[in-house]
Amino acid sequence: MEPLSWGGIFAGMFVQLIPVWIALIVTFTVSIYYKRKLGLYGKLFDSTIGMIGFALVMFWVFVAALGSMDMILTHDPLGQVSGMKNKLPGTPLRGAQDGDYAHYLLGGDNLARDIFSRVMSGATIVILIAPLATLFAYMVGITLGLPAGYFGGKFDTLLSFVANLVLAFPVILLFYLLVTPEIVNTGLPQYMAIVLFFFPLIFFSVLINTRLKQQPQKNVIWLCAVLIPLAVMYVVTINAPSTKIDILGSLDFFNPAAGILVVFVSVVFVNSPTVFRIVRGLTLDIKQRDYVAAAQTRGEGPWYIMLWEILPNARGPLIVDFCLRIGYTTILLGTLGFFGLGLPPESPDWGSTINDGRKLLSIYLHPALPPAFALLSLVLGLNLLADGLREESLRD
Amino acid sequence: MGLFILRRLGVMILTAICLTFIVFFLTNLHPNLEKLAKTQGEMRMSDEQVDRWLANRGYDQPLPIKYGEWLGVWPSKIIEVDDGRAYGRCLQTGVSIADTPRFCGVIQGDWGFSTVFKDEVSSIVATRLSLTGKLMFWVMMLMIPSALLIGVLAGMREGSRTDRSLSTVSIITTATPEYVSGVIFIALFAASASPLNQWLASMDWIEGRTLFKGTATSAMENANFNNFFLPVLTISLYGMGYIARMTRASMAEVMTAQYIRTARLKGVSFPKIVVKHALRNALIAPFTVIMLQIPWLLNGVVIVETLFNYKGFGWVLVQAAGNNDIELLLGVSVVSVIVVLITQLISDIGYVYLNPRISVS
Amino acid sequence: MTHETINGKPVHSAAKMYADEFKAGLLDRREFLTRASALGVATSAIYAMGGLTQPVHAAAHAKQGGTIRMQMEVRALKDPRTWDWTQIAFVGNGWLEYLVEYDSDGSFNGWLAESWEVNADATQYTFNIRKGVKWNNGDELTAEHIAYNFDRWAEGEAEGNSMAARVDSIVDPETKKAIDGAIEVVDSHTLRLNLRQPDITLIPGIADYPAAIMHPDDNPEDLLANQIGTGAYKNDSHEVGVKSVLVRNEGHDWWGYAEGKGAFLDRIEFIDYGTDPSAWVAAAESDEIDTIYENVGDFVSVFDSIGWNKAELATGSTIVVRPNQAATDADGKVIFEDKRVRQAIAMCVDNAVLLELGNAGQGVPAENCHVGPVHPEHDASVTRIPHDPAKAYALMEEAGMADYEFELHSIDDDWRKNTTDAVAAQMRDAGMKVKRTILPGSTFWNDWTKYAFSSTNWNHRPLGTQVLGLAYKSGVAWNEFAWSNAEFDALLDEANSIADAAKRREVMGKIQAIVIEEGVTIQPYWRSIYRHTRPGFVGTDIHIAYASQLYKWAVEA
Repeated sequence: MEPLSWGGIFAGMFVQLIPVWIALIVTFTVSIYYKRKLGLYGKLFDSTIGMIGFALVMFWVFVAALGSMDMILTHDPLGQVSGMKNKLPGTPLRGAQDGDYAHYLLGGDNLARDIFSRVMSGATIVILIAPLATLFAYMVGITLGLPAGYFGGKFDTLLSFVANLVLAFPVILLFYLLVTPEIVNTGLPQYMAIVLFFFPLIFFSVLINTRLKQQPQKNVIWLCAVLIPLAVMYVVTINAPSTKIDILGSLDFFNPAAGILVVFVSVVFVNSPTVFRIVRGLTLDIKQRDYVAAAQTRGEGPWYIMLWEILPNARGPLIVDFCLRIGYTTILLGTLGFFGLGLPPESPDWGSTINDGRKLLSIYLHPALPPAFALLSLVLGLNLLADGLREESLRD
Repeated sequence: MGLFILRRLGVMILTAICLTFIVFFLTNLHPNLEKLAKTQGEMRMSDEQVDRWLANRGYDQPLPIKYGEWLGVWPSKIIEVDDGRAYGRCLQTGVSIADTPRFCGVIQGDWGFSTVFKDEVSSIVATRLSLTGKLMFWVMMLMIPSALLIGVLAGMREGSRTDRSLSTVSIITTATPEYVSGVIFIALFAASASPLNQWLASMDWIEGRTLFKGTATSAMENANFNNFFLPVLTISLYGMGYIARMTRASMAEVMTAQYIRTARLKGVSFPKIVVKHALRNALIAPFTVIMLQIPWLLNGVVIVETLFNYKGFGWVLVQAAGNNDIELLLGVSVVSVIVVLITQLISDIGYVYLNPRISVS
Repeated sequence: MTHETINGKPVHSAAKMYADEFKAGLLDRREFLTRASALGVATSAIYAMGGLTQPVHAAAHAKQGGTIRMQMEVRALKDPRTWDWTQIAFVGNGWLEYLVEYDSDGSFNGWLAESWEVNADATQYTFNIRKGVKWNNGDELTAEHIAYNFDRWAEGEAEGNSMAARVDSIVDPETKKAIDGAIEVVDSHTLRLNLRQPDITLIPGIADYPAAIMHPDDNPEDLLANQIGTGAYKNDSHEVGVKSVLVRNEGHDWWGYAEGKGAFLDRIEFIDYGTDPSAWVAAAESDEIDTIYENVGDFVSVFDSIGWNKAELATGSTIVVRPNQAATDADGKVIFEDKRVRQAIAMCVDNAVLLELGNAGQGVPAENCHVGPVHPEHDASVTRIPHDPAKAYALMEEAGMADYEFELHSIDDDWRKNTTDAVAAQMRDAGMKVKRTILPGSTFWNDWTKYAFSSTNWNHRPLGTQVLGLAYKSGVAWNEFAWSNAEFDALLDEANSIADAAKRREVMGKIQAIVIEEGVTIQPYWRSIYRHTRPGFVGTDIHIAYASQLYKWAVEA
């Protein structure tokens, strides 16, 4: 079989990505059609920059989702095929049988794995961890930042001190101290997970409770509906077999791959103080507004005011920062991969693949560049998206 | 103002103490000590040998005492081993045990001894920090002027084609982490297999085989354009976009201000307005950003120093952390905390001076 | 004058027997050189006895003077007997030398010991210390100095002293010190060792890199302070992780000058570029180094492509990817208790593919028994269980482990990691579940014998029985397989007692068969080792046991 030309490679990738194109077109058509009814999200489609950013981000989101459903990958991202080591893009698969995809579209890496499939399945890892970790950091930051800004005093001084302490740590040093196998064996990251992952529970219980305090029945139903699944997730996530925290035994049905939890905790831990500072600053600013004073005179409780008066009014800057922070987290994950910390080996995540690829960069350019461009385009998309959102939210 | 600085200094010391205690705690966890014993003693030591090694060197004492010894508020223990050797952080060659001072911690100016490098922590940190200082100096020399230039040019006429293209450039640079740009630069400019270098070499336009060097090791002694440009460029690019965007925003805001409009109506030429009136006010905001950028650049320094084999502060950090070199790691942490906090302090003070609406209380 | 032996005494009877065996094709060249020279036969005589031509020295092309810059990890110096990295020896060997030198062709040659003789049952060694060797502090080297070193090596209790195991036959098992009377100073230049048991590995042991000879007045804890030694160089600066420089010790009259040994270079710089080979390429392309410590994997072809000279050496160094038969998982199950599980793992792996993907095809595939063509007693007719993934899966199912997820550990480096990754991928292809765990070098060795399933590299050993005795015999410290098999132990002892190679091979064949049949390990290939040097230098060939041999390095004339 002939190797593919560059045209053939791009055509092959285009065909392989057809499900993603369809999903993108549907999303855009529907969104633009209904954009007047969709609030801030709809306004995004008034800004070219925002739309480009959104398209880039959604491209990778769809790749991640559809890739994990096995609709895009051409080969097993961990499978090694003899004879395909460091082969150039478009090389036909040696010993291909019926049902195998006939080429390595973007070539083979140092261990004869298909680079195209690795980049695509790497998206699943990145798209899963980065936004989720950012979301957790937001839960922590909001739950602590709101009262710190609202009440001030000793509580604020203490929390701000702790936040500044974490921020004064060079990130890499922190990771080196947290993510090494020795520390992981002591169970420290798991203890941190116990604390950090508890914040969403607090956040949602307070959120619901303050809103529905007057309607006890509805309150209980809502609390149960939200808290029980969350609590179950909480317990099974922090519980891991054959570690310091193993109380469930065989009841534990969800175990994230070794290392992922540790990386996740570290990333949340590093991001939370910054979010805390932003939320605290916004709260300090917003609590002087008239509508807050009005709510206070109405006799609303402080938590109600924080969560239902201040937080919604701080959403603009928070959403923008959220987008930027996902990008930053993506870069951070890559940094971890670059130093070989945390994420499981063989993992197709982009940071690790860039690091693997750079070693032979002087002779083979093709293994390192696709993940580099993938990471670049996702972070770029998030930045553009944030820019678009900022522009549009300022027009309010 | 004096009180403000004093209070900030107090917080700084408290932060440094808390932070070093955390580092101390993490590095003194037993598995880490075991690792230390094995890397320093012999790789394949038995558990008893490890315990003896640790006990001989006083690593088995309670954590607060060890921390007190490091800080210099607790007398340092001297352990004499059967075969006549003695261990203790205060011991010096040529000084008898009786004459050895009892306290020798950070307060006494003794930063300890690096187990990996077999040298005084203070001298290691000083050498490496000065090398990183050299790197950072050139990074600043490249990053700040180009960032300000891009920002001013873009913000001068908001919404113009120049603005749009320059803004895109600065977004792209912030979206490109050092490990991506560094890798691309080495592939393009420093690998003899790269088409660019082969073409340049075939035209006889470059002396060696490559345009730039892919390693900055020789730059430690003798930095030149060839061996130093790529690392400097790699760090600068990532930080540049952010400063440029801040400058642009600030410039755009100034350009819509009343006095600029008045000046334009008076018929002052556009370049003159930009240089004489707008520039000065537009550069206040980027100043704080630049100061806050410094600690953030440390990350980039670690990556770039690893990538280009430049043995500066970031490299020491990786070595110390990877080998669990406790005292060196503590020294490194103290220095980085001080850098972070001082830059914060300067940016706060600067902000106050530049912006009369905020007062220090 | 030509002596048959290096001390002028009659040739050891066993050496003549070896020569006959060699000529009859029962011993291979390396084995013959190793065995005969360990008995004190001069190298030239060995070549003559075996009817071989001795290779011509490259010294003819060497020029006096010059500087070489080598990429090498620069590590902290420490007491020689605790050296655990050959890179430390490269620096220390500037001024510290050895009693005996092991050469890449497998022969042992006199160095500070001009010659030695061994009695018939290998329980008494007599060393004739070279006369006229001066320490760089002016002292004359005497047998007392050597006795001091043997005493130090025998201290079994000393932290990290790896020499104690090498001179175990003079160590009292009770006191962990040298047995009284074991080290006997006969006269100023004669030293006799009286062993408590026969030991043919003593000479290989004291030719190893931690056996550097120290002056009694020097402080082993701080080698750089005084640098008392017999060698031609001294250290000018030593910065861990950065750079170390050896310069000619101008005031010192090295004994080797008169003997024509060389030491041509005036200055040797070791520059640390970390462990990432791509940084070495960058340094080479930037003209910052002239040679590298050791080349690995894909980078062999990279350095070929930039025009450097390649030195290649086939060795007995290898990797084992092995289950630990005693390891239990979280549920207390002994994972690899069932022989079928171990066999299945070995069967689903194609060793040639591991060589291709793991070590860039540099070497020869092996047969999973850790004895190979480099070893004289190797029985080539015994081969591995054939590669058959389908049958492997069936075996696994039969053992009830088809759904089991195996965790496979390895160290984080180039070829060891890649080889282990390739094992994991092939097991997955066969339908098994594998999880990979990669540990940094600083962590990996903490528990290297205890991991349930992991890979370990093993260096070259001259004799086929050596590694088997070190790592496969029941209950020995480095038995990472946790394998114990009485039949194997008995056969190994038997093999060690048979002098005749043909008969030994018969026993070795049985041993190989047991190791393979029991599925003890995947031992996929024998590595070749490489060093690249910029054109214009000679004598920098890589050594089979990574000895420095700085005196051979030179600028090409």
